[in-house]
Amino acid sequence: MTVSLIVGTPKGAAILRSQDRQSWQEQFVLRGWPVTASARDDRGRSYIAVNSPNYGVALHVSDDLVDWRQLASAPRYRPEDRGNPEHHRLVARDDFTGLLKDGGRFVDQIWNLHWAHGALYAGVSEAGLFVSRDRGESWQPIDGFNEHPSRPGWTPGFGGLGAHTILSDRNNPNRMWVGVSAAGFFRTDDGGKTWHPKNKGVDPAVDAAPASTGQCVHSVTHDPAKANVLYRQEHRGVHRSDDGGDTWQVIEDGLPVCELSDGHHCSFGFASAIDLKSGHVFVVPLDGDNFRFPRNGQLAVYRSRDGARWEPLTKGLPSNCYTAVLRGALSADQMDPGGLYFGTASGTVYASSDRGESWREIASGLPRVMSVDAYVS
Amino acid sequence: MSAEPVRVQLPPVLRSVMGGERWLAAEGSSIAAVLADLARTHPALGLHLFDEAGAIRSNIVFLHDGEMVRAREAASRRLKPGDEVVLTNALAGG
Repeated sequence: MTVSLIVGTPKGAAILRSQDRQSWQEQFVLRGWPVTASARDDRGRSYIAVNSPNYGVALHVSDDLVDWRQLASAPRYRPEDRGNPEHHRLVARDDFTGLLKDGGRFVDQIWNLHWAHGALYAGVSEAGLFVSRDRGESWQPIDGFNEHPSRPGWTPGFGGLGAHTILSDRNNPNRMWVGVSAAGFFRTDDGGKTWHPKNKGVDPAVDAAPASTGQCVHSVTHDPAKANVLYRQEHRGVHRSDDGGDTWQVIEDGLPVCELSDGHHCSFGFASAIDLKSGHVFVVPLDGDNFRFPRNGQLAVYRSRDGARWEPLTKGLPSNCYTAVLRGALSADQMDPGGLYFGTASGTVYASSDRGESWREIASGLPRVMSVDAYVS
Repeated sequence: MSAEPVRVQLPPVLRSVMGGERWLAAEGSSIAAVLADLARTHPALGLHLFDEAGAIRSNIVFLHDGEMVRAREAASRRLKPGDEVVLTNALAGG
């Protein structure tokens, strides 16, 4: 068995490969392209999403992780689609010539690629969802989500208005979930025709935000085979749902609780992942939205064995670490025992082959790590 | 006999889209027309040249005859057969 990691950075992707999860070989591909997401389909083809403020977004495919080919199609809004002024304001730093002043809606980043039920889904910013049913050769917008009635009230998070989380139900192709910063979490039960906010029990990101679609979800993880049990790392804390997202409860027993910039107390972080064989869930807490680094510099992954209580895992991780782990930068390989991998905003990748009990550095000197995805072949 | 094509130099980041090719040949009497020809013959490259609204991506700039030409000027910038155009982009930083 070979474990392959696709590590996305602003300057390309590091491909790390290992047959024993101890020694790793590294190759750097797609040089010069910001790499933001990856996926693998059920026939073994890998997909990488790239974006550039100058040259837009695109997808590359490979059947061996060595030779990559750019596809001639990518998710794109229609010329008549209107954009979100607040999102435009946030991304305007790259708009040197005033393109956004005309108010159009543009795909400026693919945040997430997700393969499910024979289709490839892309979650993008400005927030939207697209699907390809021909392995990325053509893309269609999912209008039931992209033109959601609540869209005029969606407010971007600090990183823009992005659809960054896509989850699917292995046993029900009509049920999917999408998370948007900062418009919360949505579910469809009719194959994408209609979508409903699923944020009951989760505080809005700020008190002035809409109660139904003002949540700043950071990431959500689950077991696709037991899809209705969901774990959600929110700007305002870690939550669990046992009913497919209809209701949420805070689960922070054992997690470090910090004070956010607005005085709210909760456990803050971005990334989450699940080891399917054990059911253990993992998050990487940061010391609030002001500092965004591990408390007291101790890099720690927290594990929950029962979906309620958490324990810190620090063996092999540095105690002088003042960087972040971003939302897409934690992944599990689903082997037995489960392997876990994460990258930091300062370009180091850590690996565990014992469900997080111990860690070691397997790559360093990379640019800011934006995504880590593990694949087994 | 057809006219000599215009030659377009790609920036390094776009050469990877074209298998490492630095120069491409295209036809057209303006920079915009040449880019449209490139997008037609090389759709994967076309993604990077035109945005959703069909406009040349606004951060692209061109060098032609020793002058810088911005994207909004590409339609009016006339080309002769055999001209060379350098395609590059706005750069941030010092």
